[in-house]
Amino acid sequence: MQPLANVTPLKPAARAGAIEVKNVGQVFKTRSQDVVALQDVSLEIKPGRFVVLVGPSGCGKSTLLMMMAGLRQQTAGTITINGAPILQPDPDRVGVVFQEASLFPWLTAEDNVEFPLALRGVPKAERRAKAQDALKLVGLDGFGRRHPHELSGGMKQRVSIARGLVQDPPVLLMDEPFAALDEQTRMTMGDELLRIWAATGKTVVFVTHSLTEAVYLADEVIVMSARPGRIVDHLQVQLPRPRTYEMLSGDAFGSLRDRIWRHIRKSA
Amino acid sequence: MSAWISAKALRYLIVIGLIALWELLPRTGLIPELFLPSLSSTLIAGWTDAGEYGHALAVTLYEVVVSMAFACGGGILLGAIVGSLPRPRILIMPMMSSLYAVPLVILYPVFTVWLGIGSESKIAFASIYGFLPTMLATAAGIQTIDPQLLLAARSMGATLSQRLVRVIIPAAIPTVLSGLRVGGALVIVGVVVSEMLISSAGIGYLISRYRTILDSAHVFAGVLLVLFLAIGFNAVIRWIERKATIWQTGTRAGLANDDIAAGAMQPAT
Repeated sequence: MQPLANVTPLKPAARAGAIEVKNVGQVFKTRSQDVVALQDVSLEIKPGRFVVLVGPSGCGKSTLLMMMAGLRQQTAGTITINGAPILQPDPDRVGVVFQEASLFPWLTAEDNVEFPLALRGVPKAERRAKAQDALKLVGLDGFGRRHPHELSGGMKQRVSIARGLVQDPPVLLMDEPFAALDEQTRMTMGDELLRIWAATGKTVVFVTHSLTEAVYLADEVIVMSARPGRIVDHLQVQLPRPRTYEMLSGDAFGSLRDRIWRHIRKSA
Repeated sequence: MSAWISAKALRYLIVIGLIALWELLPRTGLIPELFLPSLSSTLIAGWTDAGEYGHALAVTLYEVVVSMAFACGGGILLGAIVGSLPRPRILIMPMMSSLYAVPLVILYPVFTVWLGIGSESKIAFASIYGFLPTMLATAAGIQTIDPQLLLAARSMGATLSQRLVRVIIPAAIPTVLSGLRVGGALVIVGVVVSEMLISSAGIGYLISRYRTILDSAHVFAGVLLVLFLAIGFNAVIRWIERKATIWQTGTRAGLANDDIAAGAMQPAT
């Protein structure tokens, strides 16, 4: 199944975004011992796919994501995006969305979205235009002047997504972005994210604790084991798109979720 | 909302009531004028010797401004270093925290030996006095910056200096300002107290001199001046805080800062 076959990417650059993780390992050195957080992780993500990483706490899924973002160096192996290794944060190739608290509270929503452009000295007018486009894309047209404390949790995450997309990177990495939201907002944000993803054709790598969220959003779910983190399963989610709420109670959905849960129970 | 308005009105009423009592109690003879001269005789005393008070105020203001520059400049600088680098923190912080509990005023006689009884010894004492809370607040402000914000900035390609200018400094401003409020108030205390102890000029000196000749009206005129100085300073800081931290309105952090300023960080005097 090719869920993206009928979605035309916005521009050629959006076709980029292949991620290759090869024999990656991560060892934390502490005073008493070396802790192996990740061991021999290899995976290949094709452009435009929506991939979800799940696993028990401490399995290193966030660590793996941080390494893809260039925010942390692996101790073994290589990670390449668009065919070139990631050695440091590269906002041209990778946008990152964190948990709730990562908006700058002293900046308005639009200034937050413009922040990565301001870092690179993009002229004010161009910055503002791009920020407006990004805010419109995430459904926050007209909220640009508000400060984060004037926005709801879901709106804040929309601003974060807009900030991650404003430089139009081919890859969007999301570290438990909806974990702090209530259940209803979380469902709505999931649908919103799928809409944005379909509209932009980005490669999305999404870390979550929620198995339902994982199956609901993903083309592929990668299941990791507890420390030392390893990939124990790589599922293809063959549910049709657009995903609907009714699918949650279907047999196909349930059996996928059960399969993931069995892995996690075994290793936790 | 209505409770808030009545609280504000009540505050004004209390102030007006106290002023009225200040005038009435000594006039009716309930309190001897030696203990509390009436407001009007205090103002008259101040007015007739306005030149003397003006000169004293100039000396005190000069000492306060210079001390504040030292206390705040040094406090913010060292606080920033201590807050952002773990090594100096381990070295300096325990020392500073215990120093905070020492009544520093015991050092003042030493300063007069070193620097004489002129403005220099007051400035030295008041600077050190106001320096500690500013430094501790700045260090705390920088240490408590949400690491997620720095991580996010890094993910967007921010260099070290961009992170300092665009993330660390704006994030630390509210805590630093609340430290300035406490530090600045202590600078005023330090200057006036040292003037009262060993000195030859300034409002503190006037208060202390008039006290020895039991001229209560002139003593209270000096007290009133110090009061206005402190209130004026507080108003300025509050104005800056409101301008600089609009984004914090109604947040827990904003409330916490008020707690700090309201006395949680008062040292021994």
